[in-house]
Amino acid sequence: MSSNSALESTIDQVLERNSSEFSKSLKNSLADAQNILSDSLSMLEEEYEKIISDGKKEADKIEKQIVGSADLEARNKSLLIVQESTDKVLEKAKAKIVNMERNSEYSSLITKLLTEATSALNTSDVIVYTNSKDKDVVQSAVSNISGAELSNDLIDCMGGVKVTSKDGSMSFDNTIDARIELLKPLIRKDIAAQFNLGN
Amino acid sequence: MTTQGGVQYSKIAEIKGPLVIVDGVDNAAFDELVEIETTEGEKRLGKVLEVGNGKAVVQVFEGTTGLSVSGTNAKFVGKVMEMPVSEQVLGRVFDGLGRAKDGLPEPVATSFLDINGAPMNPEQREYPKDFIQTGVSVIDGMLTLVRGQKLPIFSGSGMSHNILAAQIARQAAIVGTKDEFAVVFAAIGVQYSEAEYFKRSLEESGALKRSVLFLNLADDPAIERIITPRVALTVAEYLAYDLGMHVLVILTDMTNYAEALREISAAREEVPGRKGYPGYLYTDLSTIYERAGRLKGRKGSVTQMPILTMPSDDITHPIPDLTGYITEGQLVLGRDLFRQGVYPPINILMSLSRIMKDGIGEGSTRADHQEISNQNYDAYSRAQEVRALAGIVGKAGLTPIDLNYMNFGDEFEKKFLSQAVDEDRTIEETLGLQWSAISKLPKNELTKVKDKYVEQYYKE
Amino acid sequence: MVAQGKIVWISGPAVRADGMADAKMYETVSVGEAKLIGEVIRLTGDVAFIQVYESTSGLKPGEPVVGTGNPLSVFLGPGIIGQIYDGIQRPLKDLAAKSGSFIGRGITTTPVDMTKEYHFSPTVKVGDEVEAGNIIGIVPESSLIEHKILVPPDHKGGKITKIISEGDYNLDTEIATVEKDGQSSPLMMWHKWPVRQPRPYLKRYDPTVPLLTGQRVIDTFFPLAKGGTGSIPGAFGTGKTVTLHQIAKWADSQVVVYIGCGERGNEMTEVLVEFPELKDPRTGKPLMDRTVLVANTSNMPVAAREASIYTGVTIAEYYRDMGYDVVLVADSTSRWAEALREMSGRLEEMPAEEGYPSYLASRLAEFYERAGRVQAKGSPERDGSVSLVGAVSPSGGDFTEPVTTHTMRFIKTFWALDAKLAYSRHYPSINWMNSYSGYLADISKWWSENISKDWLDIRSQTYGILQREDTLKEIVQLLGPEALPDEEKLILEVARMIKIGILQQNSFDDVDTYCSPEKQFKLMKLQVDFYNQGQQALKDGASLADIRSMDVISLLLKARMDVKDDEMNKLDKLSTDMIEQFKSITGVKVQN
Repeated sequence: MSSNSALESTIDQVLERNSSEFSKSLKNSLADAQNILSDSLSMLEEEYEKIISDGKKEADKIEKQIVGSADLEARNKSLLIVQESTDKVLEKAKAKIVNMERNSEYSSLITKLLTEATSALNTSDVIVYTNSKDKDVVQSAVSNISGAELSNDLIDCMGGVKVTSKDGSMSFDNTIDARIELLKPLIRKDIAAQFNLGN
Repeated sequence: MTTQGGVQYSKIAEIKGPLVIVDGVDNAAFDELVEIETTEGEKRLGKVLEVGNGKAVVQVFEGTTGLSVSGTNAKFVGKVMEMPVSEQVLGRVFDGLGRAKDGLPEPVATSFLDINGAPMNPEQREYPKDFIQTGVSVIDGMLTLVRGQKLPIFSGSGMSHNILAAQIARQAAIVGTKDEFAVVFAAIGVQYSEAEYFKRSLEESGALKRSVLFLNLADDPAIERIITPRVALTVAEYLAYDLGMHVLVILTDMTNYAEALREISAAREEVPGRKGYPGYLYTDLSTIYERAGRLKGRKGSVTQMPILTMPSDDITHPIPDLTGYITEGQLVLGRDLFRQGVYPPINILMSLSRIMKDGIGEGSTRADHQEISNQNYDAYSRAQEVRALAGIVGKAGLTPIDLNYMNFGDEFEKKFLSQAVDEDRTIEETLGLQWSAISKLPKNELTKVKDKYVEQYYKE
Repeated sequence: MVAQGKIVWISGPAVRADGMADAKMYETVSVGEAKLIGEVIRLTGDVAFIQVYESTSGLKPGEPVVGTGNPLSVFLGPGIIGQIYDGIQRPLKDLAAKSGSFIGRGITTTPVDMTKEYHFSPTVKVGDEVEAGNIIGIVPESSLIEHKILVPPDHKGGKITKIISEGDYNLDTEIATVEKDGQSSPLMMWHKWPVRQPRPYLKRYDPTVPLLTGQRVIDTFFPLAKGGTGSIPGAFGTGKTVTLHQIAKWADSQVVVYIGCGERGNEMTEVLVEFPELKDPRTGKPLMDRTVLVANTSNMPVAAREASIYTGVTIAEYYRDMGYDVVLVADSTSRWAEALREMSGRLEEMPAEEGYPSYLASRLAEFYERAGRVQAKGSPERDGSVSLVGAVSPSGGDFTEPVTTHTMRFIKTFWALDAKLAYSRHYPSINWMNSYSGYLADISKWWSENISKDWLDIRSQTYGILQREDTLKEIVQLLGPEALPDEEKLILEVARMIKIGILQQNSFDDVDTYCSPEKQFKLMKLQVDFYNQGQQALKDGASLADIRSMDVISLLLKARMDVKDDEMNKLDKLSTDMIEQFKSITGVKVQN
């Protein structure tokens, strides 16, 4: 199991718990979008009389234009909702991670993050940075890697590690913040799929 | 799509032109995406051009202005550059690297695709043979565009190529099918006003919701232009082959693309080919143009209309020259016609649609289409010769037949070639105008048309 | 022992690997975890410089490179005809089956289906002595090609100790055993041959037989001989590809190898769609049954483009060795030269003109030298030929650029395409003043023996009219046509008729697309007769206007499309009509 799946399962839990809340807000927004569309259709009817006299070609053109922009507006609105939901999910997930108990499960996550980093750098002669909360967990993981040192300088992150080679020429950011950033597109895809908005 | 981060290196050996050379790199792949972080924390994207012996040569899309040897970090992301795609890209505006530019969040992606694509297996191609009606007479009548074709517009600075391209994008339709049509527009180093004209034009025709725009404007980073056509085509391929749409891709202006390529080549100190352009310009352009086509067993198609301005109107310049060798014909705009105020100013004699013959005729347009078009070519070519001769010996030195040809030439340019910017002609109207023009000639001059068509369509 | 090294450097299709002391020049190697196919093109110490035939995107330094011990070779045996290969003989159909519509990487295939059974009939028996090149059996390959099974050209020969009896066998079957000096070796229905090494033959003949293409401007004016070399340079839009397709369709060879080298994908598709539908005019069988396609389109990896030319010519030589006449069409050698230039640039070699490597000329010479009409090695005695036609795509249509100028040194027939002709829709746009053929004298014997003893004379007269017109044209451009006397105006008139009635040929017209040698001669003779009778008529008092108004003219111009190859009597009728009409215009004058 990679460190990803650990993160993903956390996010899944958060998602599940909050999905009803999101679906409610989504339904509201979808209704909004629907309203925009029907508004524009009635507008279309109003204009119809005038349009007919301007000839069929022109009528088609305007009809396309109005329906086209209404469609777009509705779509864009739902896009904003997905974005909002994603942000909320991430916020909750982050909060959960920050307050996560630093138990044995967590320390094995840290070990994984640490080995990933040293193998990517292709050296274990490294300096490891973390935040104050994770300091102890990281320290015990670092002590198992010969050549690795924990820096006294703390970094601002939710958790995880940032690893730098001792000459300072290479570094690998494996903080949970960085990992979530990478997962973001996939999380958004999941959320959109849950609410049938992806496609 | 990988979700693991990449190693960040901070030893920058050299910065020259658009290139950053990173030292001490032992874990990077050729073509890999790189994130460059400046001392101020600003992030720029780049890709690996060359890697080995502890060094990586990175091409920075957003330029190297403001980068310094110390304090700049390069993160190797562990994947090639990808474009997130889904149906939601329709109706959106992106920058030249494929990031949302319309103030909305990034579209939710269903896939992440390598922007370089992969070469189509020639055995899997479906030969293009379906007529696209552009509503522009000279194109539909004599230089027919076919689904899956790549047909560029060769223009010169200041001419009406973008107006023509916009008209085609608005009017293009596939007669007789209900298949979905989409437009992908990639602005490569063009002015804001031109891109805006195009966008508004799509908006007003209601075509925006089936369009995707990629904008790298004149004041956007030049090296980004290497990427713009590729992200655009990646989206086009997705819409065509995954969603089954017929996609018209407009790339303007490919001259700016080639110049960006030259800039990188110069910075790498490569041996230049003609006019300083790299020797691989042909191959590089082909990796863009050959992404047009149709595939066996799939519904959609990618039709390309690249636009390029010929430096000093010179068609032998490497950019139009190499383009012409790859594309399936070319629409050449003529300075003379443009000066005379003819729109669209297409010089038909220098223009050609290679696969026209397969897209027209009975069953798609009309049985006499090829022949009447050949006859018009022939007559217009003769008319041009007569005009040149008249310039020397005067009208008095011409034979009556010669004068017929001059009349034909005038009628052809005024009635058939000329057209309003918002005038959408059906193919029947177009063919009718071809017959009207040719009817300025006596019947026995029509050697390229079967007698039965002459009887049916000739206008006494 | 095979080389096992590691990648140290990557730039596009060029890869350097160290630890390669055991590698040989031009050995094929497997590159990286993805097992991409590459070829060693330079060795310096234990560092090998490798050109990779597939996209190197994502490849990393440190990944392994493993030698195969073999140079880049093609598979030669039944099943090649009708195939479409990429530049290194991978069947595109199989690639599609494995990686879908787009070409994936690291895919291995066999060039032909090894499990398919062929009907083998032996032509030797146990106890027979065989040597390299001998035919030991035959296999029907397509409706047009009987595949001769050859003892490989590098085989040392010996006594047949075992030969399989007639029957159906797949390609994994050992069909014979040969023993020499106590050592026995098995023979299969196929063998492999390194692409960069020309296949040996017994002796070479002078090319004296024309390669008939059914294209008038080629066969009549600028002919190619079987075993000859020709080049067709032209700017874009001059109809190069259409002309090449015409040669591939109608040439009177038994096998055609068509190489799409760095060209458009849709053009290969067109061949694939058209050729199975088209019938060979001599046998009535589908053209695909004699055709092999090698397609390495412009967007496919550039190194494989370099190899595609060699892959194609080696296949052509193989069928030559069976005793067939083979035409190889390479479109375009310029793109091949550009591939050389790109690799040379990555090797950081000293460039010559326009960045091309200094060995461009020698590589071109080596390629065209593989053409020829030869007696093949081994028995039974048989002759075959490889004719090479190379397209050139000069940048900016400029014939002074390096690829065109070097090519002109090694070829004997030159078909110069002319953008001006193409712009006026004169197709094929072969310029009759700038083109030439070095085979004219050699093959005129064939024409005089098979078509007419007057052939050379009539051809010279026709060409003479075109040459006169070319000089007169300059006067006309200055002074207008009215400044010329009637005799000279008649030259202009007939030259125009020759251009429309003979030089122009419509490849999309069912009749005109192919023109038999007999029809070519008769059409030409009609024009010359028209000219001579016209000059006589002017002397006899007829006016030019009288001549211009003759009905026969439009018939002469349309005869190329109206008269089918089996209707030569119509042309004879035209000839008598023409005499009658001339009589009537001069007769009227005399009576008045």
